[in-house]
Amino acid sequence: MSTIAVNTITDASGGTTATINGYTPTVSNMAGRNRIINGDMRIDQRNAGASVTAGTSNTYAVDRFINQASVDSKFTVQQNAGSVTPPAGFANYLGATSSAATSLGASDYYLIRHFIEGLNCSDLAWGTADAKTVTLSFLVRSSLTGTFGGAINNSAANRSYPFTYSISSANTWTQISVTIPGDTSGTWLTTNGVGIRVGFSLGTGSTLSGTAGSWSGSTYFSATGATSVVGTNGATFYITGVQLEKGSTATSFDYRPYGTELQLCQRYYQVGSSGAVGKFTSTTNLGYGIVFPIPMRSTPTVSHTANYSAVDLGVADVTITNTTINGSRISTTGAALNGTTTGATSGAIGIVFSNGTGFSSEL
Amino acid sequence: MYKQVKDLITGSIANVIVRISDGASIPFDPANTDYQAFKQDIAEGKPLQDADGNEMTAEAAQEFMRNLP
Repeated sequence: MSTIAVNTITDASGGTTATINGYTPTVSNMAGRNRIINGDMRIDQRNAGASVTAGTSNTYAVDRFINQASVDSKFTVQQNAGSVTPPAGFANYLGATSSAATSLGASDYYLIRHFIEGLNCSDLAWGTADAKTVTLSFLVRSSLTGTFGGAINNSAANRSYPFTYSISSANTWTQISVTIPGDTSGTWLTTNGVGIRVGFSLGTGSTLSGTAGSWSGSTYFSATGATSVVGTNGATFYITGVQLEKGSTATSFDYRPYGTELQLCQRYYQVGSSGAVGKFTSTTNLGYGIVFPIPMRSTPTVSHTANYSAVDLGVADVTITNTTINGSRISTTGAALNGTTTGATSGAIGIVFSNGTGFSSEL
Repeated sequence: MYKQVKDLITGSIANVIVRISDGASIPFDPANTDYQAFKQDIAEGKPLQDADGNEMTAEAAQEFMRNLP
Protein backbone atom coordinates (compact mmCIF):
# COMPACT_ATOMS: atom_id res chain seq x y z
CA MET A 1 0.00 0.00 0.00
CA SER A 2 1.34 3.40 -0.95
CA THR A 3 0.20 6.93 -0.31
CA ILE A 4 0.13 9.75 -2.82
CA ALA A 5 0.69 13.11 -1.19
CA VAL A 6 0.44 15.87 -3.77
CA ASN A 7 -1.29 19.19 -4.04
CA THR A 8 -2.64 18.89 -7.59
CA ILE A 9 -3.48 16.10 -10.02
CA THR A 10 -3.68 17.16 -13.66
CA ASP A 11 -3.85 15.35 -16.95
CA ALA A 12 -0.76 14.89 -19.12
CA SER A 13 -1.12 18.32 -20.66
CA GLY A 14 -1.60 20.06 -17.31
CA GLY A 15 -5.35 20.24 -17.79
CA THR A 16 -8.32 19.11 -15.72
CA THR A 17 -9.37 15.91 -17.44
CA ALA A 18 -7.42 13.44 -15.32
CA THR A 19 -9.56 10.40 -14.58
CA ILE A 20 -9.76 7.99 -11.67
CA ASN A 21 -11.14 4.61 -12.68
CA GLY A 22 -12.66 6.27 -15.70
CA TYR A 23 -14.29 9.06 -13.69
CA THR A 24 -13.24 12.68 -14.05
CA PRO A 25 -13.93 14.48 -10.79
CA THR A 26 -14.65 18.17 -11.13
CA VAL A 27 -16.16 20.77 -8.85
CA SER A 28 -19.55 20.21 -10.46
CA ASN A 29 -19.81 16.44 -10.46
CA MET A 30 -19.06 15.51 -6.88
CA ALA A 31 -21.72 14.58 -4.31
CA GLY A 32 -24.46 17.13 -3.91
CA ARG A 33 -24.30 18.25 -7.52
CA ASN A 34 -27.90 17.31 -8.30
CA ARG A 35 -30.21 20.28 -7.72
CA ILE A 36 -33.26 18.02 -7.97
CA ILE A 37 -34.53 16.61 -4.68
CA ASN A 38 -35.96 13.09 -4.75
CA GLY A 39 -34.92 12.66 -8.39
CA ASP A 40 -34.97 8.88 -7.93
CA MET A 41 -38.58 9.07 -6.70
CA ARG A 42 -37.87 7.20 -3.46
CA ILE A 43 -39.73 9.46 -1.04
CA ASP A 44 -43.53 9.48 -0.99
CA GLN A 45 -44.54 10.91 2.36
CA ARG A 46 -48.05 11.89 1.36
CA ASN A 47 -49.36 8.78 -0.38
CA ALA A 48 -47.07 5.83 0.44
CA GLY A 49 -47.37 4.66 -3.14
CA ALA A 50 -51.07 5.31 -3.66
CA SER A 51 -52.35 6.86 -6.88
CA VAL A 52 -53.14 10.57 -7.14
CA THR A 53 -55.41 12.23 -9.68
CA ALA A 54 -54.01 15.40 -11.20
CA GLY A 55 -56.24 18.45 -11.21
CA THR A 56 -56.39 22.20 -11.35
CA SER A 57 -55.17 22.29 -7.76
CA ASN A 58 -51.56 21.18 -7.40
CA THR A 59 -51.15 17.58 -6.28
CA TYR A 60 -48.12 15.52 -5.38
CA ALA A 61 -47.49 11.84 -5.90
CA VAL A 62 -43.86 11.42 -4.80
CA ASP A 63 -42.30 14.25 -2.84
CA ARG A 64 -41.20 17.43 -4.63
CA PHE A 65 -42.77 16.54 -7.99
CA ILE A 66 -45.91 18.53 -8.68
CA ASN A 67 -48.74 17.49 -10.96
CA GLN A 68 -50.37 20.42 -12.69
CA ALA A 69 -53.29 20.38 -15.08
CA SER A 70 -55.61 22.90 -16.67
CA VAL A 71 -58.51 20.43 -16.53
CA ASP A 72 -59.30 17.95 -13.74
CA SER A 73 -58.93 14.18 -13.91
CA LYS A 74 -57.12 13.73 -17.23
CA PHE A 75 -54.22 11.74 -15.80
CA THR A 76 -53.18 9.93 -12.64
CA VAL A 77 -49.74 9.81 -11.08
CA GLN A 78 -48.29 7.19 -8.79
CA GLN A 79 -44.98 5.99 -7.47
CA ASN A 80 -44.15 2.84 -9.47
CA ALA A 81 -47.41 2.96 -11.44
CA GLY A 82 -47.87 -0.16 -13.54
CA SER A 83 -45.19 -2.02 -11.57
CA VAL A 84 -42.70 -2.27 -14.40
CA THR A 85 -39.05 -3.02 -13.68
CA PRO A 86 -37.24 0.25 -12.91
CA PRO A 87 -34.08 0.99 -14.88
CA ALA A 88 -30.81 -0.46 -13.59
CA GLY A 89 -29.65 1.33 -10.47
CA PHE A 90 -33.10 2.53 -9.45
CA ALA A 91 -35.80 1.06 -7.26
CA ASN A 92 -38.52 3.60 -7.97
CA TYR A 93 -39.99 5.76 -10.67
CA LEU A 94 -42.85 8.20 -11.05
CA GLY A 95 -45.55 6.99 -13.39
CA ALA A 96 -48.29 8.97 -15.10
CA THR A 97 -51.23 7.33 -16.86
CA SER A 98 -53.64 9.09 -19.17
CA SER A 99 -57.25 8.76 -18.00
CA ALA A 100 -58.88 9.70 -21.31
CA ALA A 101 -58.17 10.67 -24.91
CA THR A 102 -57.98 14.39 -24.22
CA SER A 103 -57.85 16.98 -26.97
CA LEU A 104 -55.64 19.94 -26.20
CA GLY A 105 -57.06 23.44 -26.16
CA ALA A 106 -54.61 26.19 -27.04
CA SER A 107 -54.06 27.09 -23.38
CA ASP A 108 -54.26 23.62 -21.87
CA TYR A 109 -51.37 22.05 -20.00
CA TYR A 110 -50.71 18.74 -18.28
CA LEU A 111 -47.38 18.71 -16.50
CA ILE A 112 -45.09 17.01 -14.04
CA ARG A 113 -42.85 19.69 -12.58
CA HIS A 114 -40.14 20.17 -10.00
CA PHE A 115 -39.41 23.54 -8.42
CA ILE A 116 -35.85 24.24 -7.28
CA GLU A 117 -35.55 26.69 -4.40
CA GLY A 118 -33.61 29.84 -5.26
CA LEU A 119 -31.21 29.25 -2.38
CA ASN A 120 -30.18 25.99 -4.04
CA CYS A 121 -29.34 27.43 -7.45
CA SER A 122 -28.06 30.93 -6.77
CA ASP A 123 -24.55 29.90 -7.85
CA LEU A 124 -25.82 29.38 -11.39
CA ALA A 125 -26.08 33.18 -11.69
CA TRP A 126 -29.01 33.03 -14.07
CA GLY A 127 -30.26 36.44 -15.07
CA THR A 128 -26.66 37.74 -15.24
CA ALA A 129 -23.93 37.78 -17.87
CA ASP A 130 -22.17 35.06 -15.86
CA ALA A 131 -25.04 32.57 -16.17
CA LYS A 132 -23.82 28.99 -16.00
CA THR A 133 -24.76 26.17 -18.37
CA VAL A 134 -26.67 23.27 -16.80
CA THR A 135 -27.49 19.77 -17.93
CA LEU A 136 -30.80 18.05 -17.25
CA SER A 137 -30.73 14.26 -17.41
CA PHE A 138 -33.34 11.61 -16.69
CA LEU A 139 -34.54 8.13 -17.57
CA VAL A 140 -37.91 7.96 -19.27
CA ARG A 141 -40.24 5.28 -20.59
CA SER A 142 -43.53 5.65 -22.42
CA SER A 143 -46.08 3.50 -24.19
CA LEU A 144 -45.83 6.10 -26.96
CA THR A 145 -42.90 6.98 -29.19
CA GLY A 146 -41.95 10.27 -30.75
CA THR A 147 -40.66 13.65 -29.76
CA PHE A 148 -41.60 14.68 -26.24
CA GLY A 149 -41.28 18.10 -24.64
CA GLY A 150 -40.73 20.05 -21.50
CA ALA A 151 -39.51 23.44 -20.38
CA ILE A 152 -37.41 25.33 -17.89
CA ASN A 153 -39.06 28.44 -16.41
CA ASN A 154 -38.28 31.11 -13.87
CA SER A 155 -40.55 31.89 -10.93
CA ALA A 156 -42.68 34.40 -12.81
CA ALA A 157 -42.85 32.09 -15.85
CA ASN A 158 -41.79 34.98 -18.09
CA ARG A 159 -38.57 33.23 -19.05
CA SER A 160 -38.87 29.88 -20.79
CA TYR A 161 -36.57 27.35 -22.39
CA PRO A 162 -38.61 24.66 -24.17
CA PHE A 163 -36.73 21.45 -24.89
CA THR A 164 -37.40 18.22 -26.75
CA TYR A 165 -36.20 14.66 -26.46
CA SER A 166 -36.90 11.52 -28.39
CA ILE A 167 -38.29 8.16 -27.33
CA SER A 168 -37.83 5.75 -30.21
CA SER A 169 -38.82 2.48 -28.53
CA ALA A 170 -42.10 2.09 -26.69
CA ASN A 171 -42.05 0.70 -23.16
CA THR A 172 -38.27 0.88 -22.97
CA TRP A 173 -36.27 2.94 -20.50
CA THR A 174 -34.33 5.61 -22.40
CA GLN A 175 -31.58 7.83 -21.00
CA ILE A 176 -32.05 11.49 -21.92
CA SER A 177 -29.66 14.40 -21.55
CA VAL A 178 -30.46 18.02 -22.36
CA THR A 179 -27.85 20.77 -22.03
CA ILE A 180 -29.26 24.21 -21.35
CA PRO A 181 -27.28 27.43 -21.65
CA GLY A 182 -27.71 29.66 -18.63
CA ASP A 183 -30.22 32.46 -19.11
CA THR A 184 -28.52 35.84 -19.07
CA SER A 185 -31.85 37.70 -18.96
CA GLY A 186 -34.90 37.88 -16.74
CA THR A 187 -35.32 37.68 -12.99
CA TRP A 188 -34.27 34.44 -11.34
CA LEU A 189 -34.88 34.35 -7.60
CA THR A 190 -32.03 33.39 -5.30
CA THR A 191 -34.20 33.48 -2.18
CA ASN A 192 -36.37 30.83 -0.51
CA GLY A 193 -38.82 31.34 -3.38
CA VAL A 194 -38.85 29.46 -6.68
CA GLY A 195 -35.45 29.59 -8.38
CA ILE A 196 -35.95 27.30 -11.37
CA ARG A 197 -39.03 25.40 -12.56
CA VAL A 198 -38.24 22.14 -14.38
CA GLY A 199 -41.20 20.73 -16.28
CA PHE A 200 -42.05 17.61 -18.25
CA SER A 201 -45.08 17.92 -20.49
CA LEU A 202 -47.75 15.27 -20.87
CA GLY A 203 -49.57 17.56 -23.26
CA THR A 204 -49.46 21.31 -23.78
CA GLY A 205 -51.55 23.52 -26.03
CA SER A 206 -50.15 25.66 -28.82
CA THR A 207 -50.26 28.97 -26.92
CA LEU A 208 -48.03 27.55 -24.20
CA SER A 209 -45.64 25.76 -26.57
CA GLY A 210 -42.57 27.40 -28.08
CA THR A 211 -39.49 26.78 -30.15
CA ALA A 212 -37.19 24.25 -28.57
CA GLY A 213 -33.61 25.11 -27.74
CA SER A 214 -33.76 28.83 -27.13
CA TRP A 215 -34.72 31.21 -24.35
CA SER A 216 -37.88 33.23 -24.67
CA GLY A 217 -39.67 35.95 -22.72
CA SER A 218 -42.99 34.13 -23.18
CA THR A 219 -44.64 31.53 -20.98
CA TYR A 220 -43.96 28.12 -22.51
CA PHE A 221 -44.41 24.77 -20.80
CA SER A 222 -43.32 22.63 -23.71
CA ALA A 223 -41.95 22.61 -27.23
CA THR A 224 -44.12 23.08 -30.29
CA GLY A 225 -45.25 19.79 -31.80
CA ALA A 226 -44.36 17.59 -28.82
CA THR A 227 -46.22 14.34 -28.21
CA SER A 228 -49.37 14.54 -26.08
CA VAL A 229 -49.51 11.68 -23.59
CA VAL A 230 -52.97 12.71 -22.40
CA GLY A 231 -54.16 12.48 -26.01
CA THR A 232 -54.20 8.69 -25.80
CA ASN A 233 -56.38 6.96 -23.23
CA GLY A 234 -54.26 4.65 -21.10
CA ALA A 235 -50.93 5.97 -22.40
CA THR A 236 -48.13 5.86 -19.86
CA PHE A 237 -45.18 8.10 -19.05
CA TYR A 238 -42.65 6.95 -16.48
CA ILE A 239 -39.63 8.90 -15.28
CA THR A 240 -36.81 8.59 -12.74
CA GLY A 241 -33.18 9.54 -12.22
CA VAL A 242 -33.94 13.21 -12.74
CA GLN A 243 -30.82 15.30 -12.32
CA LEU A 244 -30.02 18.94 -13.02
CA GLU A 245 -26.38 19.86 -12.58
CA LYS A 246 -23.97 22.62 -13.43
CA GLY A 247 -21.94 22.04 -16.59
CA SER A 248 -22.48 20.75 -20.09
CA THR A 249 -22.08 17.05 -19.32
CA ALA A 250 -24.51 14.68 -17.68
CA THR A 251 -22.74 12.72 -14.98
CA SER A 252 -23.98 9.56 -13.30
CA PHE A 253 -26.91 9.97 -10.94
CA ASP A 254 -26.00 11.57 -7.63
CA TYR A 255 -27.21 8.93 -5.16
CA ARG A 256 -27.71 10.33 -1.69
CA PRO A 257 -28.44 8.34 1.49
CA TYR A 258 -32.15 7.77 2.11
CA GLY A 259 -32.03 9.72 5.36
CA THR A 260 -30.40 12.65 3.65
CA GLU A 261 -32.95 12.66 0.84
CA LEU A 262 -35.83 12.47 3.33
CA GLN A 263 -34.47 15.43 5.24
CA LEU A 264 -34.15 17.41 2.01
CA CYS A 265 -37.82 16.65 1.29
CA GLN A 266 -38.89 17.58 4.82
CA ARG A 267 -37.87 21.17 4.25
CA TYR A 268 -40.95 21.32 1.99
CA TYR A 269 -43.32 18.74 3.44
CA GLN A 270 -43.33 16.62 6.55
CA VAL A 271 -45.69 14.41 8.44
CA GLY A 272 -46.29 15.25 12.08
CA SER A 273 -44.10 13.18 14.35
CA SER A 274 -45.17 10.96 17.21
CA GLY A 275 -44.31 11.69 20.81
CA ALA A 276 -45.65 15.23 21.00
CA VAL A 277 -46.86 16.04 24.51
CA GLY A 278 -49.75 18.25 25.51
CA LYS A 279 -52.72 18.67 27.81
CA PHE A 280 -56.42 18.09 27.35
CA THR A 281 -57.79 21.58 27.87
CA SER A 282 -61.31 20.14 27.80
CA THR A 283 -62.97 16.82 27.09
CA THR A 284 -62.82 17.64 23.37
CA ASN A 285 -59.44 19.35 22.84
CA LEU A 286 -55.82 18.33 23.16
CA GLY A 287 -53.42 21.27 23.04
CA TYR A 288 -49.94 20.05 22.13
CA GLY A 289 -46.66 21.24 20.73
CA ILE A 290 -44.55 19.86 17.93
CA VAL A 291 -40.97 20.57 16.90
CA PHE A 292 -40.15 20.06 13.25
CA PRO A 293 -37.19 17.69 12.77
CA ILE A 294 -36.07 19.90 9.88
CA PRO A 295 -36.75 23.66 9.77
CA MET A 296 -39.18 24.31 6.97
CA ARG A 297 -38.76 26.63 3.99
CA SER A 298 -41.56 28.91 5.13
CA THR A 299 -44.16 28.83 7.88
CA PRO A 300 -46.11 25.75 6.79
CA THR A 301 -49.77 25.14 6.05
CA VAL A 302 -51.22 22.59 8.49
CA SER A 303 -53.56 19.89 7.18
CA HIS A 304 -55.35 17.11 9.04
CA THR A 305 -54.72 14.25 6.62
CA ALA A 306 -55.96 11.32 8.73
CA ASN A 307 -57.36 10.64 12.17
CA TYR A 308 -54.69 9.70 14.68
CA SER A 309 -54.28 8.62 18.27
CA ALA A 310 -53.23 10.14 21.55
CA VAL A 311 -53.07 8.58 24.96
CA ASP A 312 -55.16 10.33 27.59
CA LEU A 313 -53.10 9.59 30.69
CA GLY A 314 -56.22 10.13 32.79
CA VAL A 315 -58.17 7.31 31.13
CA ALA A 316 -57.29 5.66 27.82
CA ASP A 317 -56.50 6.22 24.19
CA VAL A 318 -58.51 8.77 22.22
CA THR A 319 -58.80 9.57 18.52
CA ILE A 320 -57.91 13.00 17.16
CA THR A 321 -60.35 13.84 14.38
CA ASN A 322 -59.14 17.31 13.39
CA THR A 323 -56.02 19.41 13.81
CA THR A 324 -55.66 23.18 13.69
CA ILE A 325 -53.05 25.74 14.60
CA ASN A 326 -53.45 27.13 18.11
CA GLY A 327 -54.13 30.75 17.24
CA SER A 328 -51.12 32.07 15.30
CA ARG A 329 -48.58 29.94 17.16
CA ILE A 330 -46.53 28.41 14.37
CA SER A 331 -43.14 29.08 12.79
CA THR A 332 -40.67 27.34 10.49
CA THR A 333 -39.35 25.30 13.44
CA GLY A 334 -42.45 24.19 15.33
CA ALA A 335 -46.09 24.72 16.19
CA ALA A 336 -48.68 24.75 18.93
CA LEU A 337 -51.63 22.70 17.73
CA ASN A 338 -55.15 21.85 18.80
CA GLY A 339 -56.43 18.33 18.27
CA THR A 340 -60.18 17.71 18.34
CA THR A 341 -61.40 14.62 20.17
CA THR A 342 -64.27 13.41 22.36
CA GLY A 343 -64.53 11.95 25.83
CA ALA A 344 -61.08 12.91 27.07
CA THR A 345 -60.22 13.78 30.65
CA SER A 346 -60.03 17.54 30.95
CA GLY A 347 -56.75 18.50 32.57
CA ALA A 348 -55.00 15.21 31.82
CA ILE A 349 -51.66 14.99 30.05
CA GLY A 350 -51.90 13.74 26.47
CA ILE A 351 -49.23 12.19 24.28
CA VAL A 352 -49.68 11.88 20.54
CA PHE A 353 -48.45 8.46 19.48
CA SER A 354 -49.35 8.49 15.83
CA ASN A 355 -49.86 11.50 13.70
CA GLY A 356 -52.10 12.35 10.78
CA THR A 357 -50.98 15.91 10.30
CA GLY A 358 -49.20 17.24 7.25
CA PHE A 359 -47.07 20.38 7.18
CA SER A 360 -46.49 21.92 3.78
CA SER A 361 -44.16 24.72 2.75
CA GLU A 362 -43.89 23.63 -0.87
CA LEU A 363 -42.78 26.08 -3.49
CA MET B 1 -63.66 29.86 0.28
CA TYR B 2 -61.78 30.85 3.40
CA LYS B 3 -62.62 31.56 7.02
CA GLN B 4 -60.99 33.71 9.65
CA VAL B 5 -59.78 32.10 12.85
CA LYS B 6 -60.21 33.48 16.35
CA ASP B 7 -57.39 32.99 18.86
CA LEU B 8 -59.17 31.26 21.74
CA ILE B 9 -56.70 32.65 24.26
CA THR B 10 -56.57 36.31 23.24
CA GLY B 11 -59.94 36.50 21.52
CA SER B 12 -58.42 38.40 18.60
CA ILE B 13 -58.33 37.30 14.96
CA ALA B 14 -55.36 34.99 14.45
CA ASN B 15 -52.74 35.38 11.75
CA VAL B 16 -54.06 32.21 10.17
CA ILE B 17 -56.84 31.54 7.66
CA VAL B 18 -58.72 28.27 7.18
CA ARG B 19 -59.27 26.97 3.65
CA ILE B 20 -62.78 25.57 3.97
CA SER B 21 -62.48 23.02 1.16
CA ASP B 22 -60.02 20.88 3.09
CA GLY B 23 -59.80 22.51 6.52
CA ALA B 24 -56.13 23.41 6.09
CA SER B 25 -54.79 26.13 8.39
CA ILE B 26 -52.73 28.63 6.43
CA PRO B 27 -50.38 31.01 8.28
CA PHE B 28 -49.82 34.56 7.10
CA ASP B 29 -46.31 34.05 5.74
CA PRO B 30 -45.71 35.78 2.39
CA ALA B 31 -43.40 32.90 1.41
CA ASN B 32 -46.16 30.32 1.93
CA THR B 33 -47.66 29.48 -1.47
CA ASP B 34 -51.07 28.64 0.03
CA TYR B 35 -51.12 32.12 1.58
CA GLN B 36 -50.16 33.61 -1.78
CA ALA B 37 -53.05 31.70 -3.37
CA PHE B 38 -55.43 32.91 -0.64
CA LYS B 39 -54.55 36.54 -1.32
CA GLN B 40 -54.97 35.97 -5.05
CA ASP B 41 -58.35 34.28 -4.55
CA ILE B 42 -59.71 37.08 -2.39
CA ALA B 43 -58.39 39.68 -4.82
CA GLU B 44 -60.36 37.88 -7.52
CA GLY B 45 -63.52 38.19 -5.46
CA LYS B 46 -63.83 34.81 -3.79
CA PRO B 47 -65.77 34.95 -0.52
CA LEU B 48 -64.29 35.23 2.93
CA GLN B 49 -66.07 34.25 6.14
CA ASP B 50 -65.53 35.79 9.53
CA ALA B 51 -64.61 33.60 12.49
CA ASP B 52 -68.31 33.00 13.22
CA GLY B 53 -68.92 31.66 9.72
CA ASN B 54 -70.73 34.69 8.32
CA GLU B 55 -69.75 35.81 4.83
CA MET B 56 -68.00 39.15 5.02
CA THR B 57 -69.02 42.03 2.82
CA ALA B 58 -66.62 42.87 0.01
CA GLU B 59 -65.68 46.06 1.82
CA ALA B 60 -64.95 44.28 5.10
CA ALA B 61 -62.92 41.62 3.31
CA GLN B 62 -60.86 44.20 1.46
CA GLU B 63 -60.24 46.12 4.69
CA PHE B 64 -59.04 42.89 6.31
CA MET B 65 -56.79 42.14 3.34
CA ARG B 66 -55.23 45.60 3.39
CA ASN B 67 -53.63 44.92 6.77
CA LEU B 68 -52.07 41.59 5.84
CA PRO B 69 -48.33 41.08 5.23
